[in-house]
Amino acid sequence: MVDRPGPSDAPRPALRLKSQKFREARQGEWRALSGQLDKAERQGLGSFSVDELLNLPVLYRSTMSSLSMAQSISLDRNMITYLQALCVRAYVYIYGPQTRLKDVLSGFFIHAWPNAVRKLAREMLLTFLVLIVGGVAGWLLCAFDSNWYNVLMPPDQAQGRDLGASVESLRKSMGGAEGHALSPFAVFLMTHNVRVAIMTFAMGAIFGLPTFAITLYTGITAGAMIWLFASKGLGYEFVAWLTIHGTTEFFALIIAAACGFHIARRLMFPGDATRRTALAEAGLLSGTAMIGVAIMLTVAGCLEGIGRQTITDSLWRILIGLVMLTVWSCYFLGVGRKAPADAFTGLAPATGEGG
Amino acid sequence: MARAAKAAKAAPKRDLVANASYGEIGRTTSDILTPEGVVLPFINATFGERIGALLIDMLIIVFVPIIVFIIWIALPIHVDFDKTHKALSSFVEILLLFFMFFIRSGYFIFFEMGPKAATPGKRLMKLRVISHDGGRLTPAAIFTRNALREVELYLPVTLIGVFLAGEKSGSAALAALWALALLLLPLFNKQHARLGDFLAGTRVVHMPKAALSYDLADLDGDRGLGISFTTEQLAYGEMELSVLEQVLRERKPAVMKAVADKIKTRIGWVEPQNPEDVPNDENFLRAYYGALRAHLESRMLLGRRRKDKHDGAV
Repeated sequence: MVDRPGPSDAPRPALRLKSQKFREARQGEWRALSGQLDKAERQGLGSFSVDELLNLPVLYRSTMSSLSMAQSISLDRNMITYLQALCVRAYVYIYGPQTRLKDVLSGFFIHAWPNAVRKLAREMLLTFLVLIVGGVAGWLLCAFDSNWYNVLMPPDQAQGRDLGASVESLRKSMGGAEGHALSPFAVFLMTHNVRVAIMTFAMGAIFGLPTFAITLYTGITAGAMIWLFASKGLGYEFVAWLTIHGTTEFFALIIAAACGFHIARRLMFPGDATRRTALAEAGLLSGTAMIGVAIMLTVAGCLEGIGRQTITDSLWRILIGLVMLTVWSCYFLGVGRKAPADAFTGLAPATGEGG
Repeated sequence: MARAAKAAKAAPKRDLVANASYGEIGRTTSDILTPEGVVLPFINATFGERIGALLIDMLIIVFVPIIVFIIWIALPIHVDFDKTHKALSSFVEILLLFFMFFIRSGYFIFFEMGPKAATPGKRLMKLRVISHDGGRLTPAAIFTRNALREVELYLPVTLIGVFLAGEKSGSAALAALWALALLLLPLFNKQHARLGDFLAGTRVVHMPKAALSYDLADLDGDRGLGISFTTEQLAYGEMELSVLEQVLRERKPAVMKAVADKIKTRIGWVEPQNPEDVPNDENFLRAYYGALRAHLESRMLLGRRRKDKHDGAV
């Protein structure tokens, strides 16, 4: 392409740089790879024939080797930058998220999720203690002086569950629904809970302080509400009403807060790793657990929307709540212990840490 | 053979592609070692590009629900809809709730888990998310990097808004300052990564489509022009060579003249006696480019490289 006719008509050997000969010999492959990538990005790998499929890694490797060679023999900046861009494109395509959905799902449910939760055991214990302390504090404060209830649960947020409410209205607030099973209100609560969970987790990046505050406040309000219902003689019914979805929901919120504490801990005390690696590890671990939290909250939302509205017997409510608690505990404690390093997070599995 | 005619004949060949700039000078890269042992330079997204992509995404997030709402209002069925079709109306309500939830919390996650690993805003800015070590981009990483938006974007913007709206106490000022620092964190590291990127081990990179242009070196043609240089005259390094390449590909006459004059002064170029033989600026520069590249590449094969003109001669 660079031939200009020489001064004489006599044929002379073309004067070529090594890098030019290199380029001429190889540029066909580069263009072929570029074309295949265009096709793959537009139509997906499904449109490839078997030969094309087999040829793709060959083209990729030879282009990679071209780049490696070009960087050491050529100073043609356009060619090198073209090769770099092409290789970068090919690289993210070849090593990109090409896992099949089935593998992703089984990797997540069988290995990654329970392993991540097991690794958060210490943080979960901390969160659980904070929650209990908050609950006890909420109860004691209200038992000591009932005016505290209005401070902890401002009347505009209490949805009628305030100090002046009658026993009947309180009982009604826990009753079966009058509308449809899956009421929009339950969906609203579920999406709201997921957002609160994400917030609790993300706030961990501020040294865990907001996570701590949110957890403590959740405990205090729960304690205060239990006190209110108990003081009207409805304690058992209220706990039953809370248990059916609460075991799942509180479990999820504990994991979310534990994720927040985990990133806070790795941020402040990275241990032997550099802070950058520690953060990346913590992020992957807690990200996995948080996807699980979203799933758990969805389950809790269904229990709340369907189960709580249709099942009004307190014993059944408590029973279902306890069954859910057992199911989650067994799942997190037992599943995926013998797994190899999984594909979902790239993290090694937990080594015998109990939840 | 008349030189002018030859130049005219060669010109169309040389003017193939002008948009050959990629990996623009001055942009930083994150180097990733592939399993094949090749170092791949990923161009870091600039802060401006990231802001641009974010603004586009935010516009979508804000305006799509408004448009959906307007369409809902415009539909004639909504009058007494919730009374006449009770089940359907609560179903629609649930759909709307899920939709709002998706837009608010799932938008970024959904698009970044896709094959392009980029939201529409990022796609427009030619950005994409990669794993910082070049490994696979996992769903967990994408979830984390987007969950952290809560503390990096929504909370700071709220705090700064509160501060600007008149809450001028010391603690509000402190909170706003801290929020601003978190918001501007990408300005203070080379890869323009935000906190969520650090936590998820991801980076945002710029992925332009580069075109393979023609080879500028044309030793045969230059030999025909009869221009030659001594080794002492090839007194530049690789950096100057790439700048010269850019100048020659852009082909702006004023720039080419300035560069040619500068080189001629530096190397003590003596113009040929015969005015017919005086090459024009472009031909001179191309000949010089070819000679310099041949010189530097031949030394390069022996492992001796010259980074720029301040480097010792090879």
